[in-house]
Amino acid sequence: MSKPTDLVQGTLDLLILKILALEPLNGWSVGQRLKQLSADVLQVSEGSLYPALHKLEQAGWITAEWRPSENNRRAKFYSLTRLGRRQLARETEDWRRLSSAITAVVRLREA
Amino acid sequence: MRLERWRYTIPLRLRSLFRRRQAERELTDELADHVERETAERIRRGAAPADARREALVAFGGVEQHKEGVRDARGWRPLENLVSDTRYSLRALRRNPGFTAAAVLVLGLGLGASTAVFSVLDAVLLSELPYPDANRLVRIYNQNSPTNLWSLSTVDVQAIAQQQKSFDAFGAARWSDAALSGVGAPEHVAVGRVSAGFFQALGVTAAQGRLLQPGDESPAAPAVVVVSHTLAGRALGGAAAAIGKPITLDGVSHTVVGVLPPERADLAGIRAVAWPALQLAAPTRRGPFGLRAIARLKPGVTIEAAARDLGGISERIFPLWAAGFQDKTARLTPVPLRTTIVGAADRSVRFFAGAVALVLVIAVANVGTLMLVRTSAREQELSVRAALGAARSRMARLVATECLALTLLAALAGLGVAASGVRLVATLAPGLPRLAEVGLDVRAVGFLAVTALLSALLVSLSPLAQVLRRAATPSLVPDARRAGTSRSSNRTRAAFVIAEFALALPLLLGAGLLLRSLLRLQQVDPGFDPVGVGSVSLGLPAARYPDDTARQIFWDRLAQRVEEIPGVVDAGLTTSLPPDNGGDVNNFDLVAHPVPQGTSQPVAPWVGVTNGFFRAMKIPLLDGRPFTPGDSGSAPPVVSVSRAWAARYFPGQPVLGQQLIEGGCTECPRTTIVGVVGDVHYLGLANGAEGVYAPLAQVQARSASLVVRTRGAPASVFSAIRAKVAALDPELPLVESLLLDRLRDSLADPRRWTAMLAGFAAVAVLLAALGIFGLMSYVVRQRRREIGVRIALGAQPGAVTRMIVGRGMRYALLGTVIGLALAAVQMRWLRALLFQVAPSDPMAVLGAAGVLLLAGFLACWLPGQQAARIRALEAISTE
Repeated sequence: MSKPTDLVQGTLDLLILKILALEPLNGWSVGQRLKQLSADVLQVSEGSLYPALHKLEQAGWITAEWRPSENNRRAKFYSLTRLGRRQLARETEDWRRLSSAITAVVRLREA
Repeated sequence: MRLERWRYTIPLRLRSLFRRRQAERELTDELADHVERETAERIRRGAAPADARREALVAFGGVEQHKEGVRDARGWRPLENLVSDTRYSLRALRRNPGFTAAAVLVLGLGLGASTAVFSVLDAVLLSELPYPDANRLVRIYNQNSPTNLWSLSTVDVQAIAQQQKSFDAFGAARWSDAALSGVGAPEHVAVGRVSAGFFQALGVTAAQGRLLQPGDESPAAPAVVVVSHTLAGRALGGAAAAIGKPITLDGVSHTVVGVLPPERADLAGIRAVAWPALQLAAPTRRGPFGLRAIARLKPGVTIEAAARDLGGISERIFPLWAAGFQDKTARLTPVPLRTTIVGAADRSVRFFAGAVALVLVIAVANVGTLMLVRTSAREQELSVRAALGAARSRMARLVATECLALTLLAALAGLGVAASGVRLVATLAPGLPRLAEVGLDVRAVGFLAVTALLSALLVSLSPLAQVLRRAATPSLVPDARRAGTSRSSNRTRAAFVIAEFALALPLLLGAGLLLRSLLRLQQVDPGFDPVGVGSVSLGLPAARYPDDTARQIFWDRLAQRVEEIPGVVDAGLTTSLPPDNGGDVNNFDLVAHPVPQGTSQPVAPWVGVTNGFFRAMKIPLLDGRPFTPGDSGSAPPVVSVSRAWAARYFPGQPVLGQQLIEGGCTECPRTTIVGVVGDVHYLGLANGAEGVYAPLAQVQARSASLVVRTRGAPASVFSAIRAKVAALDPELPLVESLLLDRLRDSLADPRRWTAMLAGFAAVAVLLAALGIFGLMSYVVRQRRREIGVRIALGAQPGAVTRMIVGRGMRYALLGTVIGLALAAVQMRWLRALLFQVAPSDPMAVLGAAGVLLLAGFLACWLPGQQAARIRALEAISTE
């Protein structure tokens, strides 16, 4: 399995929360959506995705629900909770600070 | 925020904990769904359906690893493990019902019995007395040596009441019997005649009405009484209705002014149903000493300070009454009330607790052995687990969980045992105070929990050690069972069994000693012939029999009329009944050998009798003359003494004609000894038979027992006696008894002690036998092949049995020897309970060791027989 880009530690949670903020999705679709939205740059392995989903669920930030999917089978859909929305805002803010700081450092011209 | 989050997470966590199976199934479904979608996606992109599924699976990777990842992410892993371990343990225990039942039963009995004993110990010894600020309560005694304490006299009580500076409140009580009439049939009841200060000192309040007031004590005041809740309910129509009603005590009508709360069945150790006001007549001498004094220390006053205060009072009153009381060393002394109530019970409860603790330790050792044997039997399973990669800590946890689960079951069983056992313990333990307070409470359950945890720890220690060692060298070879039995685990098992024998021996020896002592007691000649003798006790109320003359006329008439009853061979009167009623004990001084000035005089039971008493009891007159009608109240006082008394005070000298000073009364006429009679044990069979008899007419008896020897059964004349008494006075309550019953009852306590310890000993021996049986059965199973080879090579079955039994008996013998050493240390405890038996009594020691070894032998014999029956070929081929 190819791993185009290693995710920065902790950013997977942020990405999942963001994707689920757009619409409730099942696990597979979360992976697909991440690939799509990042134009194939970001990809997450199943070995990381599912533990992350369950961890977020245990933390109370997302909630899971079994419901019929488009092909009439039951699938587990994750959606953001109110707590998750707050957490997303916090993590997004953190990420902005972190990334702009890194960008600023990286942009420095070498003398 | 925090709270809101918990609202989400707690149900989720609980769900992943307790609905694990569903959570697992959902996880499987979720991952399967993922693969389905991936497959569908690949087909949509143009892959062949068969390939698409394979590729999707390959891309997905290891399903189990992903699941593990998710399980870790869900957290609470240790708890999940605990739940699964517990489930596994319970399943495993269910698969071995024999083992489980044995372990739970043994440990449950041990835990339950110790909890029951703890409840008693807690209520009797550890907890406070049920009075407000109970640590400030004292009882006041006269004391002239560290061990000799006695009650107070009117002089003492009045002096303390006037002069004390240490107490907030002070009161006195006289505990006696009284004839209760006016409510239903006349009956004898216990009454406590108390001063107002008595209730005040204890801090007791009335449930209805009022308690006594200082004015009630004056002889001019109307007679009032406070009654117990039970009496109010039983005879007076309830607590509220009782107030103002009259009851008659000893012929005097009392008005009920108050009712005590239901929980006050006794006050300061006095168990009574009626509490009339104590009216003290002006004293004429220092004695007699029959009052219990209770006081409440002022806050901040120590008991030492109170002792100095009281000591000063003693010195001030001594010279005033020195004519009749010459013991200058006697001091008024405060003793904590708690000590006076539980003091005597202390030894018996501790003894009980010690015995039960031994049984518990044996039970734990027993379950420890069972557990070790079981762990050994599971060696192969544990090896497989180790080989499959189970961590050592994980396996240790499994074993520990199993021990814990087992102990938990045992604790539940123990709770049941304790609940029913607590009353049993209370009735078995002889003569305990405060039994009304005994019950299974939070502290007892806490004790059970802690003891169970400790037991679990002890039980699991050695199997744990075994597992940890075992896991170090995983082995899957079929011979693992033999390879895995290290020397040290065998040693541990043997140590458990040896410990069981060592601890069982002191119990068995104790039971043996008590039994020997009981047999000795039963052989004691009580000094009278109880067969065919009955007694009827009665008392004459002061209201209708105001003086000695009136009483003496009644006694004379009664004795005379009873002799006329057909079937009565002999009849007589006595003021106390052997073997356990000392009755009045009097001090005396021998004119020929007076005690040195200022020291205490000897005392002896002082029994007022008529001549008929000696005849009815078949007590022989050995020397001198019988009492005659001439020995009347106005004649010079005379006494007869028992042979033991004569031998003690006039060894080798003539006794007849000797004179003594009675009760310290130097001004009274001297008393002359006119006869010597056979020995009777008035102070219990274990105690001496020194006694003094005075003519009934000279002791001014208010109460007495009629003793009759009958031709048939004594009970057959009781109704005739009742009729005769009723003809003289219809309002006197009577108490009937048989002398044979009294003799049997006097041994009730020793018998109960013996039964109790014998019960514990039997359990201990049974457990020790069970332990060694389990161990040797295991050894036989373990050495099956070796024994098979021996038999194949021609070993005789007898020799095989001898080998197994011999090995087991080595353990039993070693344990017994260690037990003897332990017993040598412990038996000092028993000494006080033994009568004419030394703690080192060879019969008891040999008997105890013999019984224990015999039990061990029988327990080893069965596995030995089993070993001898092993078929050589089968044994060798099965492994």
